[in-house]
Formats: sequence, structure tokens, C-alpha cells
Amino acid sequence: MPQLETDSKLIREEYRYGFSSDIPEESFPKGLNEEVIRAISAKKKEPEWMTDWRLKAFRRWQKMTEPTWPDVTYPPIDYQDISYFSAPTQQESPETQEELMKTFERLGVPLHERGRLAGVAVDAVFDSVSVITTQKEALAEKGIIFCSITEAIQEHPELVKKYLGTVVPPADNYFAALNSAVFTDGSFCYIPKGVRCPVELSTYFRINAIDTGQFERTLIVCEDDAYVSYIEGCTAPSRDRSQLHAAVVELIALEGAEIKYSTVQNWYAGDEEGRGGIYNFVTKRGHCRGARSKISWTQVEVGSSITWKYPSVILEGDHSIGEFYSVAFTDKKMQADTGTKMIHVGKHTRSTIVSKGISAGRSRNSYRGLVQINESADHARNHTQCDSMLIGATCTANTYPVVECANETAITEHEATTSKISEEQLFYITSRGIDEESAVSLVVNGFCKDVFKELPMEFSVEAIKLLELKLEHSVG
Amino acid sequence: MTATIEQTDVWFPGFGESEFSNLIAGCGEQDAAARKVAFDRYRLCPVPTLRDEEWRRTDPDRIPFAGMKRLEGLDRAADPDRNDLDQAFDLVISISDRGYAITDRTGILAEGKAQVCPLSQMPADALGTYLHGEAVLEANRKYTQLNGAFWNVGFFIRIPANQVLAHGILIRYEHTTPGSILLPRLVVVAEAGSVAKVVEWYQSPDDVKLLCVGARELYVREAARLTVQAVQEWGVASTHVGEDWARVEKDGQIDWVTLTLGSGFSKMMVGCDVAEANANAYLSGLFFANEHQHIDQRTLQKHSAPHTYSNLLYKGAVKDSGHSVYQGVIAAAPGAIGVDAYQMNNNLILNTGARADSLPGLMIDADDLKCSHGATMGNIDPHQLFYLQSRGFSEVEARRMLVLAFFEEIIAKLNDSFLEDRIRADVNRKIG
Repeated sequence: MPQLETDSKLIREEYRYGFSSDIPEESFPKGLNEEVIRAISAKKKEPEWMTDWRLKAFRRWQKMTEPTWPDVTYPPIDYQDISYFSAPTQQESPETQEELMKTFERLGVPLHERGRLAGVAVDAVFDSVSVITTQKEALAEKGIIFCSITEAIQEHPELVKKYLGTVVPPADNYFAALNSAVFTDGSFCYIPKGVRCPVELSTYFRINAIDTGQFERTLIVCEDDAYVSYIEGCTAPSRDRSQLHAAVVELIALEGAEIKYSTVQNWYAGDEEGRGGIYNFVTKRGHCRGARSKISWTQVEVGSSITWKYPSVILEGDHSIGEFYSVAFTDKKMQADTGTKMIHVGKHTRSTIVSKGISAGRSRNSYRGLVQINESADHARNHTQCDSMLIGATCTANTYPVVECANETAITEHEATTSKISEEQLFYITSRGIDEESAVSLVVNGFCKDVFKELPMEFSVEAIKLLELKLEHSVG
Repeated sequence: MTATIEQTDVWFPGFGESEFSNLIAGCGEQDAAARKVAFDRYRLCPVPTLRDEEWRRTDPDRIPFAGMKRLEGLDRAADPDRNDLDQAFDLVISISDRGYAITDRTGILAEGKAQVCPLSQMPADALGTYLHGEAVLEANRKYTQLNGAFWNVGFFIRIPANQVLAHGILIRYEHTTPGSILLPRLVVVAEAGSVAKVVEWYQSPDDVKLLCVGARELYVREAARLTVQAVQEWGVASTHVGEDWARVEKDGQIDWVTLTLGSGFSKMMVGCDVAEANANAYLSGLFFANEHQHIDQRTLQKHSAPHTYSNLLYKGAVKDSGHSVYQGVIAAAPGAIGVDAYQMNNNLILNTGARADSLPGLMIDADDLKCSHGATMGNIDPHQLFYLQSRGFSEVEARRMLVLAFFEEIIAKLNDSFLEDRIRADVNRKIG
């Protein structure tokens, strides 16, 4: 039986998005206080109620303490040592526009007409501002609103007022409160009653400036019987200092609506020694408000030096469905503490959790999840499968699930396994004439298949590529 | 859960410094020294609070120290009481409010097949192991150390190398004094190649308010095989806290069954370290919380060495307003390759209003191993119910059969018809 030689190790392809763009940017001086929040609000030309909303969140945040329960360690974050706003100075100038186009082109984000052919509308966020949103007009014809959250606050205040902070309240947790106070940009999607969004809506987040934090805020509302598939991508330059990304994403599905939310998270993960990389502290939550609604989260987490993320679904409407499909890959000294929460309130609600963790190098990879069946959730059903694969002897894989059940008609099942990459499988594949490197990739791919098949096609191709592992033999 | 030990000096009411001085004044020299070691740890351990992850679902303030008194004077009683179960064992230790009695039914003590004595008279050569407390995987636990300092009935049992006990040892607790605190402690050492069974059985009347804070340390030496069964049938007015620890060495095996049926409020910890190559642990549990019962159990399957095995199966049911919490951890230490660990927790939720929480966890620091867990929750399978009804059973009868069948997998592990029938009767009564 072939043993992976102890002196060989599996490595991923070099981070391809580590470049930075030469675009003149203005950043706020470092520091955080009420003045900074007022200044952000003023930059965004926000109405007074929004400024007050931010300030209220900030005051709550000041009284809160940073959570210590996640299974990650990092040096204390100095919130006064971060710049909370950074944007290209002359966004309209042709040079900047060209450079921005070049940047997103290099990242593989279709901002041109080509995008239309690819069947995707893109909102591109560069540091603290949305620089372009494509296909807005075409979508508007159907009554779909797809724009940056900044624009939404100005143009559609009644919708924002009605839904913002209703799924993740401003003081939900430490990072959500911080985000509510200082969020800069993100996407707003509104799909009116009965409309099936014809293209995939997508947001691409790019961090470029040094020492800034990115605070993204996304709000997606699907009215009765509407449907949308939303995809999100993110990258950042390779730098030796860590940067903070604290996002809040809220999804609201009304009666019969369906939201499919897919993420490929590929922030810079830091170097071999754990220097630099993005701290990705994210609150993502969906609310199935109406009967027969459905929210599905699919995530491929391959970046960030630290991930703290639990995309959740509150299943309130009867017969509503929540899904969570996740692949979390960690190597080098990455730390991921990720999972989901499924809160069953309505009758006949169903949830499925499929989580695949792969840890390599000296990384820590934890699954943390909650399945809560309330007394009211008659005939609720949950199935959870979380598997961990370990590559190398120095990584850690933890699983911390919680199942709470208070209804006699509910059924929950939870299964988890942790094991090494299967030597039998490797042996079989190599015996068919396939080299070891491809064999490893095939096994890893097969391990993640349940999740990849949920991704939109282009994403799934990208995800497979991101997880390709190379075997590096040390010579000697 | 935290590894750091803080200086806290917070005592449980009635278990402070002055009480301790009074206690050791009446103890023998060796006993006092051993208690002192535990007391020093006890004073340093943080007091569990609702903010601790482990205690989030089980309020430690519900453990009623205030107004309760440590049971004193549990010395040797002249005449032992008898029980039908006794005849199935080689040796019986019976403990009641009047004191304890040791009945050597088959003469194993005289034959040198076992050593049994009060913990205060532990042989000097075993003292090192005891003081070191190698089996105690989490030394900063307040209740374990409280028990170590203040235990009021404790026994040391040693099975010498290569001795085989045909029937085993029974320890019976029967208490009736209201407002008393019992702190039983048990140290079992199964020396290399020995085979033995130790059964503990707790009973009290339903209306007697009683608190039991127990601790056990079990040492299974090379190629020894130890079977441990604990049957907790305290009355519903009582509270039970148990923290039990085992260490299994090379080629050794432990078969450990924990049955929790009684007491209104209980919190238990079962920690087992399969510490050397080829060590094996089979951990089983049965629990049934009905009416207002609260049962919280935490298990730790620690694999500190390569090529070790553990298999856990805990089955529980909740009914009425019962609430059960199961928290399980499989922990594989760095370098613990070739480990095979499994953990399964099945829960039956018999009516809405009852609640079961399951927190199965894996903490893996090595790569070449296989660890898995599963947890299920649900009611009786309606197809099975339908099938039995179609064969002429009433719904009530069919339900009863299926609940008993659910538990049978654990009950059968007792391997003693008297005990098995007794547990079946308990379960049957709880089904109502």
C-alpha cells in the first residue's frame, strides 16, 4: 500500500490574487469614534435616520466585549489602528476606471458586456465603495433592484428601513454591532413578487488599500414566490499585516420565495508562518419568513487566515427549507471556526447540513453547529453530515455540534467522521495508472462533491481548481 | 474547560477551611495527608457557573449545598443488611446511614484474590498512584477535588495480578437521612492480567432530599479487564453529582455501563483515557428523564496514545418535562495515529415538552486515524408501531415494547438477570 512519504507534503497553487492595484485612494485617518461614523455616513450621503442607526449600534458596540469562545487564537485587534473608509479618489477619471477594469479583469470578474453572455450581473466592491454595478437597467425592467447598499439607502429608503437589521439586529454580536456602525458598502437585492431573477446576481469584494478594514453589508429580499441566485467572491493582496473583514449578510425569503447564496471565499490566507492574511469575522443569517420558502447557503472557504462564520437559517414559515453546504479548506497556519445554525420554528420545516472540512499544514479547522428544534416545530426534520479529512500530522480538526430537540414529532440525525485521506482510495487510483498528485486531487474532489454540485457551474469549476493539491517532494 | 487554574478560594457552604481542619483532626496521618492534597487542589479550582460551556444547560446553583449536612460517622456497622442481589457476587459492601459492612461471600479476601479496605487504610504501596491521580484527566474540577478532600465513605479495591474474580464485587448504597450529603469515593486498581467486575448501586426513598457528590478512579493495568456498572436509582428528591475517571493501559480493556434512572437533578462526568497501545474502552449509558428530571452527562474519550480504541453508546429517553443533556468529546492527542474511536448518542423524545440536547464533539490532533460520531433524535418509529399494532398489540403496549427494545441494547450489557430485570422494571414504570 503506498504511503504518502513523510518527507513529501501537499501544497496548493500559489495565491494568484495577491497583487495590489495602483489606484490613488483616500483613506480616513486611523481610529474609530462617533465623528468617524458621522463622516462615513456623510460620505455616503445618508439620511439622518441612517446616521442615527449607525450611532446607536456604535454605542451598543462600545459596551460589548469581543467573543473568546471560537477555537481560534490571534493577537488582540486594536480597533483604533484601522482605517474605516478607503476609496479611489477620482473614481470617475478614465485612468482610475481603466485601472479598476484591469484589476477586476485580472481577477476574472466580468464587468463588460461579456458578463451579459455569462448570465451574471455584478456589483464590484473595491475597498469601501461599490465601483460598478452591471445590468442594472435590464434587471429594473423586471422590477428587480440590484445596486450597492449605499445607493439603496438613498434611492429606496422605505425598503431598507423595512428590512435592514431585522434578521441580524445591530447588537446581535460584537462584530455585527461593529459592522452596523461602520459598514461601507455591499449589495442590495430586491426581487419583487413572483419574479424569477433571470441572471445570477454577484458581488465581488476586493480589498486593496493597506491597513483598512472592509465592512460589507448585504441585504437580499425575495418577495412572495420570487427566486434569486446570488454569488459572492472575495480576494485581497498578499500583505504581511492582517486586515479585518467584518461583514453582515441578511437574507429574507417571504412566502414561497427561494434564495440561493453561494460564496467562494478566497481572501489572502497569510504566509507559511501565519503572517498577514484576512481576519474574516462574518455574520450571515437568513430568515425563511413565509411558508414554503427556501434559503440555501453554499460556501467554499479556501482563504482567510482566520474564519469565524456561521451562515444560519431561521425556519419560521411552515414547510420552509434551510440548507447549508460547506467546504472549508485550511492549510499553512490558517484557522477556521465555521458551521451553521438551523433554528426550526415552523411546522414541517426541513434542514440539511453537509459540511466538509479539509485540514493540512499546521492549520486548525473546526465545525461548530446548532440544530434547534423548538416545541412548535411539529414534524421538523434535520440531517447533518460533517466530515473532516486530515492531510499531514500537524493539523487539527474539531467538531462541536449541538442538537436541541423539544418536539416529539421531529427527527434529527447527525453524523460526523474524521479520518486521514484514504490510502485504499489512493492505492486504487494510482494502480489504474494515475499519478499520485492527480490521485490526491481526485480523492479530495470526490470528498467535496456533495457541496460542489450545489454551486453554480462557473463557481464549481473555480472551486475544483482552488482545491487542487500538489505534492511537493523534498529532494535529499 | 479552561486549562488555567485560578486562585479562587470559594467554598461550597459547609466545605470550607475550618470544616476541613475539624475533619482531618480526626483522621489518621496517611488519610489526612491524602485529603490535604485534594483540598489544596479543591481550593484552587474555579467554581462552575452557568457561563461555563459545560454548565450552560445545567445550572450548578441547583446543586443544594446550603442547608444540607455532610453525613458523619459512616464507620463499620455490626450487622450488614441483605439484598437479593448479593448472592450474585463474591463480595458485597453495603453502605447505609448506620455505617458500612463488608461481606466476603466466597472468601476472595482470604484467598488473596482481592484487596478491599476503606480508603483511609489504603496500602502504602498504592498511595503514590492515588495521590498522583493519573486517571483524573481534568484535575481542576471542583467536585472531584471536593470529594477527594471531604469523602465520607471511600473504598480501595485492588485485584492482584492475574487474579480472576468469578462473580465480582457489589457496592450498595441505601440512604434515608433527609438533608444529608454523601460523598462516596472509590479507587479500583485492576493489576496486570486480572479480570473483575465492580457494580455500584445507589438507592434512596423518593421523598428524601439527599445530595450525593461521588468520584471514582479506575486503573486498568496491562492486559487487565475491568467491568464497571453503576446503577443510579436515587429518589427523585435527591441530587447526584458524579465525576468518574479511568485509565486503561497496554492491552487492557474497560467495559463501563452507566445507568441513570433516579434523582431529580444529576450531573455526571465520565472520562476515560485509553493511555497505551491496544487499550480498549467500551462505554455505554442508559438514561431516562421523566416528570421534572434533569440529567446532564459529559463523556470524554481521550486517546493519548497511538493504536487505541474506544466505542461509546449512550441511549436516552425524555418524557413529560424531562430534560437530558449529553455532551461527548473524543480527543485524539498529537501523534495518536491508528486510533479508532466511535461515539453514538440516540435519543427518544416521547412527548413535546420534554427536551433532549446532544453535543457530540471531536477534537482531533493527529492524522492517521478514524474517529466518528453520530447523534439521533426522534420519537418511536411509526412504521414499527404500526406493524406491532397490526399484529394485535394496543398502541400503549406497542409503545412500551419499542421503548424497552430501544434500551435493550444497553440493558443486555449488564449480563446479570437480576439487574437486567430491575432496570427493565424501572424503564417500564417510567413509560407509565
